[in-house]
Amino acid sequence: MTLAPPQASGARLISVRVEDRPGVLQRVTNCLSRRGHRLLSCAVGEGSRQGELCLWLRVDTGRQPPAQAALQLAKLIDVVEVADLTEEAPSEWAVGLFDFPDPRAKGLERELERFGAQVVERSAERLLAALSGPPQLLEAARKAFTSMRLRDWVCSRPIALATTGGRHEPITQEEG
Amino acid sequence: MASLAAFRSEFEPGPELEVLPSQCGAQALLAALVREGVDTVFGIPGGANLPIYQHLPDFPIRHILVRHEQGAAHMADGYARASGRVGVCLATSGPGALNLITGLATAHFDSVPVVAITGQVAAPTIGTDAFQESDVIGSCLSVTKHSYQVQHADDLEEIVAEAFHVARTGRPGAVLIDIPKDVQQALVGLKRPLGRHRVHRAPTEPPDRQIAAAAAHLGAARRPVILAGRGVAIAGAEEVLRRLAETVDAPVGTTLLGTGVFPSPHPLGLGLVGFMGTGYCNLAVSECDCLVMVGMRADDRVTCRLDGFAPRAEHIIHINIDPAELGKTVDADCQIVGDAREVLERLCVAVRPQARPEWRRQVDGWRERHPLRHPRNGRLQPQEVLSAYYSRRRRGDITVADVGLNQMWAAMSWTGGEPGIFLNSGGQGTMGFALPAAVGAQAANPDRRVFAVCGEGGLVMTLQELATAVEAQLPVKVLILDNRQLGMVRQFQDDFYGGVRSQVDHLVTPDFSMLARAFGCFGAVVERHDEVGPALDAAIAHPGPAVVDFRIDPEAGIFPIVPLGGALSEFVECPYP
Repeated sequence: MTLAPPQASGARLISVRVEDRPGVLQRVTNCLSRRGHRLLSCAVGEGSRQGELCLWLRVDTGRQPPAQAALQLAKLIDVVEVADLTEEAPSEWAVGLFDFPDPRAKGLERELERFGAQVVERSAERLLAALSGPPQLLEAARKAFTSMRLRDWVCSRPIALATTGGRHEPITQEEG
Repeated sequence: MASLAAFRSEFEPGPELEVLPSQCGAQALLAALVREGVDTVFGIPGGANLPIYQHLPDFPIRHILVRHEQGAAHMADGYARASGRVGVCLATSGPGALNLITGLATAHFDSVPVVAITGQVAAPTIGTDAFQESDVIGSCLSVTKHSYQVQHADDLEEIVAEAFHVARTGRPGAVLIDIPKDVQQALVGLKRPLGRHRVHRAPTEPPDRQIAAAAAHLGAARRPVILAGRGVAIAGAEEVLRRLAETVDAPVGTTLLGTGVFPSPHPLGLGLVGFMGTGYCNLAVSECDCLVMVGMRADDRVTCRLDGFAPRAEHIIHINIDPAELGKTVDADCQIVGDAREVLERLCVAVRPQARPEWRRQVDGWRERHPLRHPRNGRLQPQEVLSAYYSRRRRGDITVADVGLNQMWAAMSWTGGEPGIFLNSGGQGTMGFALPAAVGAQAANPDRRVFAVCGEGGLVMTLQELATAVEAQLPVKVLILDNRQLGMVRQFQDDFYGGVRSQVDHLVTPDFSMLARAFGCFGAVVERHDEVGPALDAAIAHPGPAVVDFRIDPEAGIFPIVPLGGALSEFVECPYP
């Protein structure tokens, strides 16, 4: 397993804003699987609008036309907006936690400092470090940390914003 | 940035709610249905929807008691297709709800607005594997446009309003409302000042440049062809379609679901396109230099082998209200998202009248060289039955075809100038559709004559709904093209699977005339040519439901047909003179 976004053929990075309603994640994932798309990664978070969630999906569209995943997602009733960020040079950001069994391991402090990791917990038997940054940075850190007797690690999938054209076009909701 | 929000959610003011303090959820639901204009529902009561049925008699809604929930869904579908209104079906939880799925899929795939309302076990027991509990929301995700599980009785009015809006706007489809029993029984709150529900923004009007580009392509074409699907019927675009075709002198073919959107016969009519399309239509598509596809999906039954679909077209113009259909299979260079009627109206203004006598002569030549033919071997042929039936049709009569050879024969033989009255299951190809859909169509149109054209294989899948037709006094006429086998499968086995006839013969077939009478219908059997007309006349004259069993040539097949994996132009014609 790697931390870097899988570069499968036809992989798209899709940002989806959805209304925060029961079952919405099921609808999104079902929409993709029903069409034969492979969900490579999924991050879920809150956006700037109350009552909405933001999803960042990396999807391998397989044999389907690349645009299909976003087009089908856009038809879901609880989906407010879909944006295919693949061609937009998006800024991606992820978070990782790294668990070291030997806090006194040689060179560990130096490696943590090199990657800018933050120590969140330290005891005689454990050092837990957190690191956030682009997926490539986390992947490089994981490789380096592995040589330091890394006991366990976990990493979120990236969230993203387009760097060209700014944020998604805001959607105005008119309330009656 | 590729921002897609064609169906984004918005809120719009809803009608002022009129919820009385003493109403329970079931009453609020029924009141909301009345407010949506619902006059008929199809369903079966059961443990989890009994509160709805308890209060149903208090509301001006006709309930038609079906014999199986699949029948309820098909009836709601037929009601919707034949009326343009939203069809509604009811079922209880568990098996009742799950029995709806085939019917919902059938409606949804053909873009038919249906709202299904299912009872659910009481909210506190959801997830405990309670008696007759099923995850109907999860089970229906792929076959509905949207679904709701109601959490509070207070939400019912809003959800019903939104569900109907979702079902009938944009690309219509099936919507499910799942209501736990305790929600049906709970008292709703006091009247709220103003209701609201989400609405879904219709696709924006296509820009002028797209219309201009399409008009330019049509204007420059020497061999244009138009293909039309059910989207034309949904949009009510039949008249403007004909106007456009006649203006630019372009022949028009239809998909199976588009049968009836272009008059037949008409000098520009090409009939069906695709796998079992007419030879002249398939040749015209194969040779055209500009193809317009309007209100259709271009699935594999239309395109056959994809690289053989319109291979000489320099421009393909695809018009659909659903942006996801554009470029999904056929890579059209001119993609227009919009309502078929609005786009065609604008195209009509943008194009200039043209005559293309050379292209017309070529198409007419194909028409003469590749006519629809059927064997004349002394045995009763389905085309002869259909010809006798169609000759008796009156304006406004509704024909509902089932699925299989009967469907293709009925569509290929179709004649008529009035659109929107040939119904069938195109996307799912659901055997057993015709009888219950005809019952639904009849319920929506009590003054019209409704005919179901079936094979005996499909009919027995939903035969129990004859009881519904008799009980509800819906005088549908069922015409069975009875070949005592699964005819289309048999033809596929003959033509494409080494000629091995495997499990296609119905060695036991009931006497449908006796069966019909057992249900309280008129019943007749026809085996000879001279019996066809009188039997049809007797069935039509009978005031109630009627079944006529036409014992047709068991070897009758459908021709032309494109071999599996073949291109449109590689169709095989009827081998008999």
